[in-house]
Amino acid sequence: MNITRVAAIFEKDFKEFMRNMMLFTSVLIPVVLAAFFGRMDGGEGGVPDEIVIIIVGVVFSAVTFSSMMTMMAEENEKDTLRGLLQSPASIIDIIAGKSAVITLMTIISLVASIMLVEADGFWSMENIAGLILLGIFFLNLGIGIGLLVKSVATTSVYLIPIMFLFGFTPYIEFLVTDEGHIARQIAECFPLYQNLYILNGDGGAAEYLILLAWVAVSFGIVIWAFNRRKSDD
Amino acid sequence: MIHVKELKKTFGVEHALKGIDFEVDKGEVFGLLGPSGSGKTTTIKLLTGEFKSSGGNIEVNGTTDKHFKKTSYVKHLGILSDKTSLYDRLTVGDNLELYRKLYNAPKNVVDEVLGKVGLLEEKGKRVSKLSKGMKQRVMLCKAVLHKPDVLFLDEPTSALDPTTTEKIHEMLEELKNDGTTIMLTTHNMDEATRLCDKVAFLYEGVIKETGSPEDLRHRYKRNEVHLTYEDGGIRTVGRDVENQGLLKEALFDTSVIDIRTDFPTLGEVFKKVTGKELV
Ligand SMILES: Nc1ncnc2c1ncn2[C@@H]1O[C@H](COP(=O)(O)OP(=O)(O)O)[C@@H](O)[C@H]1O
Ligand SMILES: [Mg+2]
Repeated sequence: MNITRVAAIFEKDFKEFMRNMMLFTSVLIPVVLAAFFGRMDGGEGGVPDEIVIIIVGVVFSAVTFSSMMTMMAEENEKDTLRGLLQSPASIIDIIAGKSAVITLMTIISLVASIMLVEADGFWSMENIAGLILLGIFFLNLGIGIGLLVKSVATTSVYLIPIMFLFGFTPYIEFLVTDEGHIARQIAECFPLYQNLYILNGDGGAAEYLILLAWVAVSFGIVIWAFNRRKSDD
Repeated sequence: MIHVKELKKTFGVEHALKGIDFEVDKGEVFGLLGPSGSGKTTTIKLLTGEFKSSGGNIEVNGTTDKHFKKTSYVKHLGILSDKTSLYDRLTVGDNLELYRKLYNAPKNVVDEVLGKVGLLEEKGKRVSKLSKGMKQRVMLCKAVLHKPDVLFLDEPTSALDPTTTEKIHEMLEELKNDGTTIMLTTHNMDEATRLCDKVAFLYEGVIKETGSPEDLRHRYKRNEVHLTYEDGGIRTVGRDVENQGLLKEALFDTSVIDIRTDFPTLGEVFKKVTGKELV
């Protein structure tokens, strides 16, 4: 990795992000959602943690995951990735530059959304640590799928299921009301539930370990995608 | 500068290159000529490290193909691919600045190369607003702004307007004068005749003939004279002693309206060698 080259990619992708309506509006979606839920509340307890965490899930799936996947897919589709790879930039430089842009956009979207809902203890160290792990998980999913998707049109095939499975996980409580149901037990092992427990103040070592396991899985997906891409040549 | 020996490339069962050999010296302009599907792009991709060969040896700029992925190799290459790769939403200047930084080239090069292809005024324009010919010129700027030792150009002027083609040719001549080694593919024979020191005819994955355009034209000329008569009749006469009288007569015969020796164009040589028209 070379810092000058990563910075050059960052600058390019930042400009691209700002001029791409689809990506740019993705940053606003969670903010609009938060404004909507923030008004709905009214009680003194503030917005329920479940809602806060779903907003977090929307930020990470619509901004972090989706933007990363879309940016990579577009580079593939328009053959600009080929141009970059013919230069001294390595695929690591390219991914690092993009990740920096996406991280910046994620933080902007997250901070703006959370400002609109009253979420006690959201910016505690414990919660931030959990959010970082969750962010890495979604970013890696975006990188992994982005490496393999050849066009922007096919990204939607992945966006919807990833968003529902990992971005809206606690929503299952509205669909499956029986607490002991197997679907709910499985859902409770999903990453977003760990962040919910951490935000509730119920988080212990187990939650962080489960999140770490998901992060490990996401790195596995990135490595697998890299190898698949290589064998495509 | 470029040494290629017994180079092969197969895609599944298809043999795209069946063992080709060629050499390009430092500062030379080498043209790989052949019809569509003959393996030109495949050859370029092998030489720039995008494809792995299925056999044979390649050495470019002192590096063998094992090390083609390394930055130390890549940074001395300039590549103009068969497919465009510019960021449409960004300006011409932003696109070139990106590559200037990736190659760590001095600040002034962007304006310098844009000036050379006559696009300095378009620097602030978005790429999406440019014509095809302008985009191709920007792509060429991208390929040369870091002053590469070796420049690979895959059909640099195919399907472009004459003005753009002329600008590109001028720039390539300038690069050649500066000592850049250039390898290009084309099926434009006039382009090859104008620019190339050496050409190779690639046909169905095999190099059929190689040499300088002038050499090849001499090698394939026939010792014949074509006489065209007023009434449209054409007579081909060998240039030997027994036809001496006839040829002298023809010079003064007013019914002979055209006398032409058989000195073929490069395109005609290609047809003689491969039996195929180059289009
Ligand atoms: N990536 C690829 N996969 C499979 N076959 C390919 C690939 N690239 C080129 N070929 C085949 O190799 C042959 C040569 O193609 P190419 O090098 O593109 O020719 P040219 O550039 O001279 O038109 C063609 O028959 C083409 O179908
Ligand atoms: Mg080609």
